[in-house]
Amino acid sequence: MRFGFTWTVRGLRPGQVLPLIVASATIGFAVPAAAAGTAAGTTISNTATATYNDAGGNPRTVNSNPVDFRVDEILDVTVARADPGDVVATPGSTDQVLAFTVTNNGNGSEAFRLTPVSALGGDQFDPTTTSIVLDSNGDGVYTPGVDTVYVPGTNDPVLTPDAAIKVFVLSTIPAGAADGNRGFVDLTAAAVTGTGTPGTSFAGQGDGGVDAVVGTTGADSTDRGTYLVQDATVAFTKTAVVVDPFGGTKRVPGAIITYSLVANVTGTGTLSNLAIGDPAPANTTYQPGTITLQGTALTDGADADPGEFASNAVAVRLGNVAGGQTRTVTFQVRIN
Amino acid sequence: MPIRSLIVGLLLALIAPVAAHASGSVALKSAVFVERMATSPDGKLTVELRAAETVSPGDRLVFILTYRNDTDRPVPDVVITNPVPAPVLYEGAAAAAALVSVDGGRTWGPVADLRVADSDGQLRPARAFDVTHIRWVIAKPVPPRATGRLSFRGTVK
Repeated sequence: MRFGFTWTVRGLRPGQVLPLIVASATIGFAVPAAAAGTAAGTTISNTATATYNDAGGNPRTVNSNPVDFRVDEILDVTVARADPGDVVATPGSTDQVLAFTVTNNGNGSEAFRLTPVSALGGDQFDPTTTSIVLDSNGDGVYTPGVDTVYVPGTNDPVLTPDAAIKVFVLSTIPAGAADGNRGFVDLTAAAVTGTGTPGTSFAGQGDGGVDAVVGTTGADSTDRGTYLVQDATVAFTKTAVVVDPFGGTKRVPGAIITYSLVANVTGTGTLSNLAIGDPAPANTTYQPGTITLQGTALTDGADADPGEFASNAVAVRLGNVAGGQTRTVTFQVRIN
Repeated sequence: MPIRSLIVGLLLALIAPVAAHASGSVALKSAVFVERMATSPDGKLTVELRAAETVSPGDRLVFILTYRNDTDRPVPDVVITNPVPAPVLYEGAAAAAALVSVDGGRTWGPVADLRVADSDGQLRPARAFDVTHIRWVIAKPVPPRATGRLSFRGTVK
């Protein structure tokens, strides 16, 4: 990039110092240095040595003056969503976790203030952020009761150069959020020393008393996490088929009624522990051993299979049923 | 600091007499400058050299060494060596005749002639970022009262 600029070296004759031959061979080769660079507060010292033979032919050595200068602290931070995609949640659920990674890209130790914002455009609901939790045990996952709840200004995470911490944003999803709705939360991390346009300097506020200088990130960074509501609803339908003792379909004593209970689950979510229960109607008698689920017979006892007949009612546990699926239960009664 | 005074400072640093060393007849002065972007009055981006006081990783540095023969006779066999400070990445020298070392000053040569062991023990051609020292062998005796200037570039790691 140097080539795009005009050199101004006042007080020097042109060509006296410049141009320099600059090795371009470094480009494209890994340089063994930390990403954040030389640590803030480091003193760089330069001393050269001249050797020569004096008039008597004796070797002499003379050192130059040392030139010392210090490395400023660069304030840089990156926030990045740590979830692989949208975080799925159900309406009304609490403590739904968005994960972020906050990385200190600067060259000094720095504390970072964390701020969530959920009142954002482009989504369908605003999650209610209830707390921010720091991954204090460093295992990368939210551990309730173990990871530390963040209190701004009290335990702003202090990161050494190149260090990162996972941050968990916990939210409640509004009960009214509908299937397929999205809600955004933006997490911002800002250097406590200060933020601003790159190059902004905070005199004496860096590590070891050097200046702190805002780096290319502006010393703050934001990334967005997304909740995706997946909900499901179930519709039950019940139909009956009557077979009378005479081969007809009249509801007469002795006729057998086959009931079909159909649970139709719709939506993108999953219904958990869905169950169907249906009492035998009055003036009928349940016909033992007639419960089926998806065409497969179930026993009447309260046992390993999901169906039972108890207290004059049929009950079938359907378990977790995802949207788009249907469960059909049948049983038979006889009209008294 | 106002730019004007910086420029004056730079000027003084470059033209100030080299302090005579009590033990010898050659004096050596080291100065380090950092490139700073500035906008000139006509709106052009320019690069100015300012005396290094504080720097940041990535800053480009210019090291300038000034030697002077304080005697009334020529001084032969002058060799000037500058270890590259550890936090500085060597970027090249003004004089093609400069020798470098990539092994702490034991062996010397043009960077293209040197080899270094990689992490797996294999030798590979040395690169500028391997350079640990830079050296100039002044080919001709330095004339009486004469001054010479050497320079190289580096980047703050």
